[in-house]
Amino acid sequence: MTTLAFAILLAACMVAYALNRRAATGIRDGGQRLHSVSGYHGLFALLMILVPVLVVILLWLVLQGTVVNTLVMSSLPDGTLDGLGKGQVDLILAEIQSIAGGRIFGEPEPWKIVAADRFTGLLQAASLGLVLVTVLLSLAIMLFARGKVSADFRARQGVEKIISGLMIFCSVVAVFTTVGIVASLAFETVKFLKLVPLTEFLFGTSWEPQIPIRADQVAAEGAFGWLPVIVGTIVITIVAIVIAIPIGLLSAIYLNEFAPKVVRSVCKPILEVLAGVPTVVYGFFAILVVAPAIRSLGAAWGIDVAPNTALAAGGVMGIMLVPFISSFADDALSAVPGSLRDGALALGATRAETVMNVLFPAAIPGIVGGVLLAVSRAIGETMIVVMAAGLMANLTLNPLESVTTVTVQIVTLLIGDTSFDNPKTLAAFALGMMLFIVTLIINIFALRIVRKYREAYD
Amino acid sequence: MTDISSGSVPLTTNEKVQASLGRRRRKQFILQGLGIGAISIAFLMLFILLWSQIATGYKAFMQTNITLEIFIDPEEVPTERLPRGNFDDVLAAALVANLPGVDASDRAALRSASGILSNGAQFDLRDRIVENPALIGQTITMRMPVSDPYDQLYKELLDRETPENLRRLDDAQIANYDHLVEIGAIGSRINTGLITNADSRFPELAGLKGALMGSFWALLTCFLIAFPLGIGAAVYLEEFAPKNKLSDFIEVNINNLAAVPSVVFGLLALSVFIGWFGLPRSVPFVGGLTLALMTMPTIIIATRAALKAVPPSIREAALGVGASRQQVVFGHVVPLAMPGILTGTIIGLAQALGETAPLLLIGMNAFITSAPGTPFDSATALPTQIFIWADSPERGFVSRTSAAILVLLTFLIMMNAIAIYLRSKFERKW
Amino acid sequence: MDDLRAINNDVESNATKISAKNVQVYYGDTHAIKDVNVEIKEHTVTAFIGPSGCGKSTFLRSINRMNDTIDICRVEGDIRIDGQDIYDRNIDPVQLRARVGMVFQKPNPFPKSIYDNIAYGPKIHGLAKTKADMDEIVEKSLRRGAIWNEVKDRLHAPGTGLSGGQQQRLCIARAIATEPDVLLMDEPCSALDPIATSQVEELIDQLRESYTVVIVTHSMQQAARVSQKTAFFHLGSLVEYGTTDDIFTNPKDSRTESYISGRIG
Repeated sequence: MTTLAFAILLAACMVAYALNRRAATGIRDGGQRLHSVSGYHGLFALLMILVPVLVVILLWLVLQGTVVNTLVMSSLPDGTLDGLGKGQVDLILAEIQSIAGGRIFGEPEPWKIVAADRFTGLLQAASLGLVLVTVLLSLAIMLFARGKVSADFRARQGVEKIISGLMIFCSVVAVFTTVGIVASLAFETVKFLKLVPLTEFLFGTSWEPQIPIRADQVAAEGAFGWLPVIVGTIVITIVAIVIAIPIGLLSAIYLNEFAPKVVRSVCKPILEVLAGVPTVVYGFFAILVVAPAIRSLGAAWGIDVAPNTALAAGGVMGIMLVPFISSFADDALSAVPGSLRDGALALGATRAETVMNVLFPAAIPGIVGGVLLAVSRAIGETMIVVMAAGLMANLTLNPLESVTTVTVQIVTLLIGDTSFDNPKTLAAFALGMMLFIVTLIINIFALRIVRKYREAYD
Repeated sequence: MTDISSGSVPLTTNEKVQASLGRRRRKQFILQGLGIGAISIAFLMLFILLWSQIATGYKAFMQTNITLEIFIDPEEVPTERLPRGNFDDVLAAALVANLPGVDASDRAALRSASGILSNGAQFDLRDRIVENPALIGQTITMRMPVSDPYDQLYKELLDRETPENLRRLDDAQIANYDHLVEIGAIGSRINTGLITNADSRFPELAGLKGALMGSFWALLTCFLIAFPLGIGAAVYLEEFAPKNKLSDFIEVNINNLAAVPSVVFGLLALSVFIGWFGLPRSVPFVGGLTLALMTMPTIIIATRAALKAVPPSIREAALGVGASRQQVVFGHVVPLAMPGILTGTIIGLAQALGETAPLLLIGMNAFITSAPGTPFDSATALPTQIFIWADSPERGFVSRTSAAILVLLTFLIMMNAIAIYLRSKFERKW
Repeated sequence: MDDLRAINNDVESNATKISAKNVQVYYGDTHAIKDVNVEIKEHTVTAFIGPSGCGKSTFLRSINRMNDTIDICRVEGDIRIDGQDIYDRNIDPVQLRARVGMVFQKPNPFPKSIYDNIAYGPKIHGLAKTKADMDEIVEKSLRRGAIWNEVKDRLHAPGTGLSGGQQQRLCIARAIATEPDVLLMDEPCSALDPIATSQVEELIDQLRESYTVVIVTHSMQQAARVSQKTAFFHLGSLVEYGTTDDIFTNPKDSRTESYISGRIG
């Protein structure tokens, strides 16, 4: 039925286009001068139908499920849902749905079968309603648009207004996304903070949300202090940055200043390959190769290394960030005006002196911006740490030990079944909120530095 | 040499410069060496990464099979009870017929010996017989995968020298296996199941079909949403938007969005799409929606760069013949910028294809044994499948994880190659 | 040497500082400089004039091997300073450039303090042993660059904060801080206003006492004002070379005459 609705919409658009176009052509052939060419009259009708009807169909589809579910659940015999938690209610709903879908397990209670029938009926009614609404709305708009056709009608302006509106909508989606992120995170975080006080979350030194899973659990009894988590994140980020900065900067300096053209044209794409490797691949690389290597190296030197040491996750993350930093540094070095380079060389500076004394200091702001963005990436990077870092929150600064990170906790708390009234779930959103705030501050700062720097030399 | 250096300094300038040269050349040499070293480290890491995946992954592209003559005993599989029947017993009997050393009446020995058959073998047999019940009572030849430990044994990943109690196969099982090898029942073939099967708990049966289809639906959704939205936004911001606080704000917003950690998009999807809109978990459609939000900033930024590269003279020429702003933009500027836009889009989609964290949060890491037929069926995606397999304890999944990684990387390389081709073919110097 | 103190325009008796024989410069496939032969006298301001794109800057840049920094650029022929082949394999461009300073079209002070701008050359070449030596070099260079009085109170302010004319004189001071023999100037006044231009021109005239100056300019008036010898380039070839007076009053080649009288250019 949904397909039918879309088909009707498509047909209506085409018919309306043809009708209006032909009407406009008729007027023109009648000897009157059209304000807009006939194609725009057709396009006007098409867009007039397409936009609102599409919105209605999509809204209908999104809301249909929720509305039908609510109707079915509220029509259950009185008292069936009394005293049940949200999880159990969801279970009943799921059972009703599967009965309606023809998958019957065992002998369901009769009221469930009744509800299932009702569910099927409502769904059918909803699809029928959708088709009906599509037809009626399309016809109504088609008539309206047809009535608009006249010699004076500014169809082109009308079309351009609609298109402008659509484009503005597209631009605003980005803003909606940000608003959506902030709203959803804030919403769940506020719920979390009702269960766990802010001071405990910010300053508590123990993070053990997984441990007590009892029916009578009080959220505050699980430990929700994020300090060990953020310290772990910082440790891994530092390891990554310490590896990425020298390798990234030195390769950028080499490629920019010393490498022959051929070498540069080969090396840059290879570095881009390194940047294009998905993080889940880096994660598997870390557990398959790097962590065992570090462990056996540690064993050879008599150092005890945890199996999921922060060194493995951080080290691999550092490799991941190399192309990132090197491309920023490359851009920054290239952006330094050639006249400065000439000036230094003409004084008799060697290439190395030119880079280190003149170009590099001049490029520092751009490089710092890139490094900050890399830091924000390291903090927000998820898969490498989920696979290679630890789950337990140790409050330690030793990179040989296993530490956990904000992103690891978010993923492990949310993988599997989630319901939104559980402090574990809410804790993940609170961590997400902190992650978003921290990375946002770094990003805004970094992007501003980079932009200022570009302006300075443009 | 004339005495330009005004006499007050004992050494001439030239001599002093000469004296400093050795030290300075050495410094330059060191810096250059460090640079080459840094690049080499990065390349070495890339090489080790690829090599380790190829070295572990290539084995998963072959699958060890066992070929057996199977008598379909009507006693065990009566026509009227189909699709039920004791297919495992039929298979065990066929196996034991080839193993003189195993006593068919010893249940324990029988069970231990038939461990070589994959768990999926009985279902394959069932499907074949249900399709053609006339086979009952006949003897058929069937090739089926061996179970994981035997596959490892064939690929020499399982060490026979390990003490028996630490090995996954005991001496009797290995003896049976050796006998089967001797009579030529065991062989190895290209593992088509890796592409044509969906996920399974048993490594020898697990394949990527579900993940590939899941990724396909998710990317399709992502493209259908992000491409028009991205172009619309970019065209508006670049060509039409008045330069005011609002468009500045939108621009800052888009740039920041491109740098928001991907896991945060997962949280957004979980709470908005699944929590508030009530969309189902684990489906590629929701995955695609989430990826679309992440890809959009990339497409917008690439599109704006492509639009900027179209010289103003084109716009002026079109405006000069009386075209409206929109006619100029959609008739001339956007078509000229299209190669750049497509390149940016493909690169954005390639990023989306490798994205894992947000898909984990919306449940696309579920264990699903059938490939999704529509974007609204539960599914995994390639990267989440890699994550699931990397987490699985069975040895056979290690090489499959690497194989899946190789498949993923192949797709990424193909997409990037297309992007590079487009860029070089249509690149225009103004 | 005392006679040099007196400003004289009769430089024909001066020794040859730079001699170029059969110089060819290629940019990739383009033959940018064709067979140039010229002898440049010391303690003389020699001007290269010619229409834009005639190769005068390219030739100037091959005198201190700045063309080496351009990948596709190739120099053939023989350029000698004080009789020494500067394209000899044993010559390090670093050493050469310490002897042959260069000033560019657009003032390009480093984003450092005025003091550090001047001190940079002497520092990398190890010309000053102590801080006092360095202070002395900086002051001397700034005085010779005729900018000391304007900046002596703010030596540690950034060089980029000066006006265009001051920046250019700072760059000249920076170039002479390494005690070069030769100063190359690539249209040093083209980015400056008339007042700053006249200050720089005055400075160039003073510099002749101590240095051999080669200046590229497309302003014929400037060439006439500051130079004693003039070379006219056209389409990559050296058309005519002689004393400035001769070139401007009595050109031998018809192309030179056309350029001087404004018919080509």
